[in-house]
Amino acid sequence: MAYLTTFYWGWLLGSALLGFGMGWISVVQHGEGVSRKLRWALSALVAALIAAALARVVPGRFGYWLDLGLIMFALYLCFCAVGSWLRDWVVSRSAPSA
Amino acid sequence: MHGLFRWSGKWWPGVIPLVIFWAIAAWTSTEPLEADLAQRSTAALKDTILDKRRISVAGRDVSLAADAFSEDGRQSSVASVEAVPGVRLVNDETRLVPEAKPFVWSAERDVLRVTLSGSSPLPASKGRLMEAARANLGGVEVVDRMNLSRGAPPRFDNAALLLLDQVGKLKDGKITLSDTKVSLSGMARELGGREAIAAALKNLPEGFSVAANEVKAPPYIFQAYKDPVAVTLTLTGNAPDNNVHAALVAAAGRRFFSEKVVDNLKESIGAPSGFANAVVPALGALSRLSTGTLVISDREVKLSGDALYEAAAVQIRAGLGKDFPQGWQFKPEISVKPAAAPVDATVCQQLFSELLGKARIRFEPGKADIVADSAGLLDRLIETALRCPTANIEISGHTDTDGDEAANQALSEKRAQAVSDYLVKAGLPANRFSAVGYGSTQPIAANDTDQGKAQNRRIDFVVK
Repeated sequence: MAYLTTFYWGWLLGSALLGFGMGWISVVQHGEGVSRKLRWALSALVAALIAAALARVVPGRFGYWLDLGLIMFALYLCFCAVGSWLRDWVVSRSAPSA
Repeated sequence: MHGLFRWSGKWWPGVIPLVIFWAIAAWTSTEPLEADLAQRSTAALKDTILDKRRISVAGRDVSLAADAFSEDGRQSSVASVEAVPGVRLVNDETRLVPEAKPFVWSAERDVLRVTLSGSSPLPASKGRLMEAARANLGGVEVVDRMNLSRGAPPRFDNAALLLLDQVGKLKDGKITLSDTKVSLSGMARELGGREAIAAALKNLPEGFSVAANEVKAPPYIFQAYKDPVAVTLTLTGNAPDNNVHAALVAAAGRRFFSEKVVDNLKESIGAPSGFANAVVPALGALSRLSTGTLVISDREVKLSGDALYEAAAVQIRAGLGKDFPQGWQFKPEISVKPAAAPVDATVCQQLFSELLGKARIRFEPGKADIVADSAGLLDRLIETALRCPTANIEISGHTDTDGDEAANQALSEKRAQAVSDYLVKAGLPANRFSAVGYGSTQPIAANDTDQGKAQNRRIDFVVK
């Protein structure tokens, strides 16, 4: 893991920034979110992919691409959460003063 | 927390650029990553001894194919690659180098090259053997047909290096090491090479032994060429030691009374037994030829040339083989020189005097037995006698003044008769010769010195 991070820190940083931006926007965005059902289905898919990656059942280059995708996706999700939480904090701090 | 869950429903649009990022990252990074991992894996195996090592990387999975020289080495090589940072899986395609039983290594030399084949225990020892072969055999092409195998006996390298040294002493042949047994065959480069190899093999490392040593020595050659134009006898080839060398040259000097002896003999060990006992009579036979070559190769004696007359040819063909030690072969190729033109009696006398001026017919001391050394001279006297068939010849025997006069008289008569008999036996008519003894009554030199006495002990041919 440490090896991959040093090798691709650029792409990982990109994923993180993208996540942060998306999280930042999502707090004030008006619109429909993903339905509960779809959300479960997507979670199950991701869980299955993580399981496949941990079990190292996908061979060769596909295995590597899966690992890379999951790491980028995990970072994206983390920074989405960070972005959303920060935006929420900023919004809730400015609301009473307004 | 509830907010985070609510907001997360709206995070999906960012996944679209993320997927694009991911595709680009995968597209651009895969090959550099694979190259980097291959290089790191190779570096990790730097100190591990493996043969036929092949590393291929797909994504983060490394396939390692190699022949290892021990189970420990095999496992540690896989572990080393597994420990390389970034490697996800190692596909272990390693195997152990096959075990050779028996462990056979050989070095074969022919005219052009030396071929090393069979098994060698490690790449390093293979390299060392090749290097040693190139260094020892200066200039000869060295071909490597060695495989790597397990199961070499202890101290294999030392033994193989010593044997490679011996290959340098071979002209052609093969040295094989089968487990700890050494077999040698072929031909030594030089006389004495076989003995040198046998001596070196005593230094084989402990545990190794010689199963068969069939290295042959090159033929032991001795040659003598009698050149009637240059009036020389040229000796070439080998003589076993200083004493035999001197004896052969002395024997040649006695037998070839009119030729100059050119001595080009080298002293080398490895002569067949009975060498001197065969060469001396063979030189005697050569001295009876007008022109001829004597070639002795090991125990085979070839004498070719022209005898002076038919009876001499028959005697040489039949007689020489009997004088040789056991196991020696004689191959005569004797022809007869065309008869020389007849001459009148005066010329004949002149020719006799010339011949007897150069050498004397010699007898056993105090006896009337002609010594074998004089055969060449007698042949020439007979040849001369054949050129004047009508002349009658007196064979006169003379002695020095030592001893009793009556005894000297009798001895001189007997000696003259012995020579006459010899001529008759050679095919000349008996009525042409009269044998006369003069005792010490007709000296040609003073009898007070050994030299003078030697000159007086003589046989003269007088044409009547």
